[in-house]
Amino acid sequence: MSQPVLQVKDLRTQFFTDDGVVQAVDGVSFDLNPGETLGIVGESGCGKSVTALSILRLVQEPGRIVGGQILFRGSDIVKMSEEEVREIRGQDIAMIFQDPLSSLNPVLTVGFQIEEAIRAHRHVPEKMALSEAVELLKQVRIPAAESRVHDYPHQFSGGMRQRAMIAMGLANRPSILIADEPTTALDVTVQAQILELLRDLNRDLNTAIILITHNMGVVAGLCTRVLVMYAGRVVESGPVERIFKNPQHPYTWSLLQSIPRLDSDRHDRLLSIEGLPPDLIKPPHGCRFHPRCQFKINRCLSDDPVLMDVGPDQEAACWVTMRRALSKNGEQLA
Amino acid sequence: MAALPGIAQEVIDETLAREQTSLWADAWRRLRRNRLALASAVFLTLLILVAILAQFWTPYSYFAQGIGPIYQGPTAQHPLGLDNFGRDILSRIMLGAQISLKVGIGTQVIVIVVGVVVGLLAGFYRGFVDVVISFVINIFYGIPDLLVALTLVLLLGRSLGIIIFAIAFTQWMNMARLVRGQTLALREREFVEAARSGGAKANRIIFRHILPNALGPIIVQATIGVPMAILFEAFLSFLGLGVPPPTPSWGAMAADGFHAIRISPHIVLAPAIALSLTLMAFNFLGDGLRDALDPRQKR
Repeated sequence: MSQPVLQVKDLRTQFFTDDGVVQAVDGVSFDLNPGETLGIVGESGCGKSVTALSILRLVQEPGRIVGGQILFRGSDIVKMSEEEVREIRGQDIAMIFQDPLSSLNPVLTVGFQIEEAIRAHRHVPEKMALSEAVELLKQVRIPAAESRVHDYPHQFSGGMRQRAMIAMGLANRPSILIADEPTTALDVTVQAQILELLRDLNRDLNTAIILITHNMGVVAGLCTRVLVMYAGRVVESGPVERIFKNPQHPYTWSLLQSIPRLDSDRHDRLLSIEGLPPDLIKPPHGCRFHPRCQFKINRCLSDDPVLMDVGPDQEAACWVTMRRALSKNGEQLA
Repeated sequence: MAALPGIAQEVIDETLAREQTSLWADAWRRLRRNRLALASAVFLTLLILVAILAQFWTPYSYFAQGIGPIYQGPTAQHPLGLDNFGRDILSRIMLGAQISLKVGIGTQVIVIVVGVVVGLLAGFYRGFVDVVISFVINIFYGIPDLLVALTLVLLLGRSLGIIIFAIAFTQWMNMARLVRGQTLALREREFVEAARSGGAKANRIIFRHILPNALGPIIVQATIGVPMAILFEAFLSFLGLGVPPPTPSWGAMAADGFHAIRISPHIVLAPAIALSLTLMAFNFLGDGLRDALDPRQKR
């Protein structure tokens, strides 16, 4: 196993609002290996995006990283100076956002914005930057790249804008690309194209990808490993096949149950997860998922479960599965 | 992308490469449809040409007195008549246009430079910087404009440069407040975050990403600010605190004719009409620009 390119250890990001401290990310840890595709899933407000923003230290006031480490090739991003982080942004770790229209500056040409991404980190003459921008647009399969490079974002279609964003992200051959819901604003056929593009880029350039989404289908299509987040914490992680075939946390299981299936009986009701995500200013005692959990036992109300191995390379934070996993091995739960 | 069967790649490329329409081209197209704004623009262009012409040539000398009977009404030789010193009013109006435009545009240049920079800083950095800048802006709003301008003119002298400076001194807050508001809104937009995530430096984000997006409102505000400044200068001159005579300012010319308004109203009327037309033209143009530069009005 090679050295992980990114290690997040016990990351805590909090928002200091007038109503109280929102524990948006509360002790998230994971490793990312070179060339790996990691999916982070969970419903809205579970801390996926804040985790991604924290990695690049882009969390805005009143949010703050209050604890933990983010080790990029061994050096801690949390402790870096603003200038050092700026060097990493776009050069080593690039990010693409959910809505490609609002992520592109409407008054600048697409080419100019790609050139800018190039020249933020490298001293490249204007002519060369332009031809590099054209190359990048070709790489993300924009037709007639030579002329489209001078277009403004509003002249691009939704899918093309997201391609242009990806081109910007790839401008400096980053080792990590963080894609925050890259397909949410696009229609399904374009979604598929963008995912295929990401998959090809991952294979051809060996760029590690962190894909943030609430769409399990997208994860299944692209990722090799999955991190399931709930209420600011990782509740389950593991290889994508294991998570889909054998989910060990009730939340993961419910998420998978709530995907509409083509092969289901038309009279089957689609399962939804009852209740709302918890208030992260005052999270529930014990397991944070227990108010919505169908399988809860008494212990869930009082004690907070930790991540434990529940299978090959698979971890889950749940008292119910933990008891089952332990009893299988003949051990007693402390 | 695979070529579609039966269609040459050039045809596809041709279709895909649509007409280039920048936001500015769009705005120009919309402005042209606004007749009032267009007429104003034509009027102002003529006014600027007259002001330039006045630098080199006027029908008569603007300061030569007694070239005809004083208080004489319009005649063939003197289309706008003569004033209380027997000076040719048309010549003085022409040169007065130059003064008014210098004041109007000069103040707005200062206002733009100061207001935009201050507003960008306050809006982008927020926090302490914003608190201090907003405090200063509010103090400036609290002091009566006329008092500030009068004090400055009395202290520093009555040259054109000082007057421009004094008026800009009372006007920069409008621009600063506008740009601050725009910046506060724009800095939250995703493309700013995207630029930041790409490693762009702060000044690059401010001047490359935020400023161009705020340019529309800035231009409108400056266009509306021009007539305010012209009026202010005319007012100062009317009070006798403007550009020293015999340099003709429309305000001073109106003041000259004021005491004889019953016997020869043309001395007041000529500069008053010139002033009104100019102010209206700038306001209509400003209005037109506001509509043209508003991207929500895509037509």
